[in-house]
Amino acid sequence: MNRRNFFSGAATAVAAASVSRVALAALPEPALQTSADTAPPLHPPTGRPYNPVVTLNGWTAPWRMNAGVKEFHLVAEPVVREVAPGFVVNMWGYNGQSPGPTIEVVEGDRVRIFVTNRLPEHTTIHWHGQRLPNGMDGVGGLNQPGIQPGKTFVYEFEARRPGTFMYHPHADEMVQMAMGMMGLWITHPNVGKGAAHPHIAKVQRDYAFLLNAFDVEPGSLTPKVNTMLDHNIWCFNSRVFPAISPLVARQGERVRIRVGNLTMTNHPIHLHGHEFEVTGTDGGPVPKSARWPEVTTDVAVGQMRQVDFIADEPGDWALHCHKSHHTMGAMGHSVPTMIGVDHRGLVGKIQKIVPDYMVMGERGMADMGAMEMPLPDNTFPMMTGTGPFGPLEMGGMFTTLKVRADQRAGDYRDPGDFKQPPGTQAYEWTGAPASTPRPARTDTPGTAPGAANARKPAASGHPH
Amino acid sequence: MSAIHRLSLLGAVAFLAGCASVSPDGLRGDVAALTAGRTGGVQAALPAADPAARAQAQQSIQGWLAQPLTQDAAVRIALLNNPGLHARLAALGVADAERVQAITLPNPHLALGRFTNSQEREIERTLSFSLLDLVTLPWRTARQAERMQVATLQTAQEVVTLASDTRRAWLRAVAAEQVAAAHERMAEAAETGAELARRMARVGNWSRLQLAREQAVLHETRAQLARARLAAATEREQLSRRLGVWGLQAQYRLADQLPALPATALPADGIEATALRERLDVQAARRQLDTQAIRQGWSRVGAVFGDIGLAYTRNTTTERATGERDVKRGWELDLPLPLFDWGGAARTRAQAEVEQSAAQLQDTAVRARSEVRSAWRTYRTALDLARQQQGEVVPLRQFISDETTLRYNGMLASVWELLAEARASTQAVANAIEAQRDFWLAETDLQLALTGTSPGALQGLTSGAAATTTPQGH
Ligand SMILES: [Cu+2]
Repeated sequence: MNRRNFFSGAATAVAAASVSRVALAALPEPALQTSADTAPPLHPPTGRPYNPVVTLNGWTAPWRMNAGVKEFHLVAEPVVREVAPGFVVNMWGYNGQSPGPTIEVVEGDRVRIFVTNRLPEHTTIHWHGQRLPNGMDGVGGLNQPGIQPGKTFVYEFEARRPGTFMYHPHADEMVQMAMGMMGLWITHPNVGKGAAHPHIAKVQRDYAFLLNAFDVEPGSLTPKVNTMLDHNIWCFNSRVFPAISPLVARQGERVRIRVGNLTMTNHPIHLHGHEFEVTGTDGGPVPKSARWPEVTTDVAVGQMRQVDFIADEPGDWALHCHKSHHTMGAMGHSVPTMIGVDHRGLVGKIQKIVPDYMVMGERGMADMGAMEMPLPDNTFPMMTGTGPFGPLEMGGMFTTLKVRADQRAGDYRDPGDFKQPPGTQAYEWTGAPASTPRPARTDTPGTAPGAANARKPAASGHPH
Repeated sequence: MSAIHRLSLLGAVAFLAGCASVSPDGLRGDVAALTAGRTGGVQAALPAADPAARAQAQQSIQGWLAQPLTQDAAVRIALLNNPGLHARLAALGVADAERVQAITLPNPHLALGRFTNSQEREIERTLSFSLLDLVTLPWRTARQAERMQVATLQTAQEVVTLASDTRRAWLRAVAAEQVAAAHERMAEAAETGAELARRMARVGNWSRLQLAREQAVLHETRAQLARARLAAATEREQLSRRLGVWGLQAQYRLADQLPALPATALPADGIEATALRERLDVQAARRQLDTQAIRQGWSRVGAVFGDIGLAYTRNTTTERATGERDVKRGWELDLPLPLFDWGGAARTRAQAEVEQSAAQLQDTAVRARSEVRSAWRTYRTALDLARQQQGEVVPLRQFISDETTLRYNGMLASVWELLAEARASTQAVANAIEAQRDFWLAETDLQLALTGTSPGALQGLTSGAAATTTPQGH
């Protein structure tokens, strides 16, 4: 990812030809995002003040004030999302990207959202976690008819309660969410000058992202919408490591991370080097008395978690899902384990039949991270990403929290690799070698240690 | 009758009989002339009658067999060396001798008699001669010539058929060897997979079920290889039989590939006309009809006159007492009276034979037209199928193999999938070889149907359509 473009301004463009100007004459212009980079926080130009969030590899939707009402315009449409450089996926999203733009409002704001449908089928939007009139809840068939292709619907309600929320379709949702239709909604607390919310601390950095997953057949472009669990692209905001922006903080800053899960499985999100507290869910802020320290929080399906911590340990700290398959790129889940299989004498034979064959997996799969072997077109490698000390052998739901003493306040630029102070890194033992290692296995391969030998007569040498 | 008269009669007979000399090469030259350009574009000699030329031919055969055997060389060897063809050519020589015998005038009969009574001694000399034989000699000569032409045409058909059969046998033998080689590669891939599977099971990574599946693949592949090797050996024997070789000579090496597919297909325009003009079986049927028509003319004469005998008699009677001689000379014409057999049956028979021949000609012509159309269609389809297999299916299979390798690289596919795809790729190559062979078999049929004779049952295209074995995924 091109992090140098971070401050090149909100890469928004105004949609021109695609929606009839006559039809939308009274509508706010829908803002369009063409870049998958992380946009800088959008400080509110109008309306009540708040501290904006940074959407990882995303952006915040601009709005217009109309007689005291905040008006947004979301356009549901097919998009091509750059999930990693060189790996793009046909998705459905909003305003040029999946996920759609983050909607940021302040507690008490009256919000009017125009939703235009440019998908080939009807859609709706459900405002996950909001208190709102029943007719605005967006469940197709229950609360409203579907928004037919080409039509625009208007949702209007008051953002009654501060917190971290999501929006997503509730019409053919299995398909539409498998195709990437989702976005974040942040309602900031309404605090006057200098006042503080009793359960919502003021933070210097406020990051937000959604967990989403896709099943993209290696070499293809469009997710398989019928996959339930066996996905191969595990994302933060439809991006995979190493293409996910790092979270940056100045040492000592209070940092908030908001995570929502719109996949079909849970994700234990784990932060290294710090402990945090879960300070909020999509049910609202957690009272201080109910919080406990954690380094991992499991974000269940359809949930949001807001964690706060003080970034007091300088370094590059991993932030990832703790399910190891979720920090991998596309992999063959039915590929057999080759560990310990002797390939001697066979490699040449296989190469005679398949000239480009290379042995892999004989010692484990780490070879994969080191070897740069050609893959099918548009295929995200199973292992990718390199750090200062070599291959990270990860892809998917993985990024870093970069804490620096000299990072300027409000500067979100990637400070580069952490320079570990001398004497603070694990090192190789150079003293006397370990005593003679015991044999790796004392039992017969394929049998349990200490198991009775099945070939007893032959082994014990009884004469016949 | 004066001596001059007598001589002129004998001269006429001798003249008529003169065209009835035996062909010195047993008509091989005629056969060769008929088969020229009909043995699939190869100039192939027929076995010579003379021993020196035969020895020369054996040397050539040795030379051809020392090289990897090409299709043309196979045809050359078969035409020189096939014992069946030797027998057939010899039979043609026999028939020629019989022809000459048949049209040689029967020797005149000389009857001598010596009769005595008390007064006289009588010596009878009668030189008799079948007049009918003489009268019908031109017809019979022509008829025998026609019959020999038919026989020559038939022998020529056997030559072109042998040439075609040899071509087919060569195509089948070469293709079978190539297919067997492909099966060896497939078996190698399966063996490697099975060996790796054994090692997988040995270290506990695979169950016995998974191992058994790979071993089943191996055994299936090995069985296929055994069948392919048998097919190669059988086809080679078929070719050896056509070539008429055995022992050391049968240890020739075959050329290692079939001829490439032609860039352009033979057009279908005018093929029926070509077949009617060029085909030897059509020509033979036409000759047969001509012969029958001639025979009909002859049968009319024969029917009316039956066996007319002409005899010259000179009887000498000697008075035993006086020794006085009395010489009696005279002609005697022996004429059957057409009292009972007016030749109607013979005429009807001849008429029916003409009709039969006419019908046979028509039948042959209709068959020739149909066969050449059918052969062309098979040829065209075979070409399209072979091009598809070679130009589309094999590259597709290769692409699938390559893509599977890429998936293997990404640990998205296993080495067994890779090996299974390699087997499928090789199977596609084997299918392409068979399709190419089928095309050349169809081409041989078409050439035979166009200029030679009936190719008999046309080669089907079943083998090339052999289903590609889908690799077992893991
Ligand atoms: Cu996960």
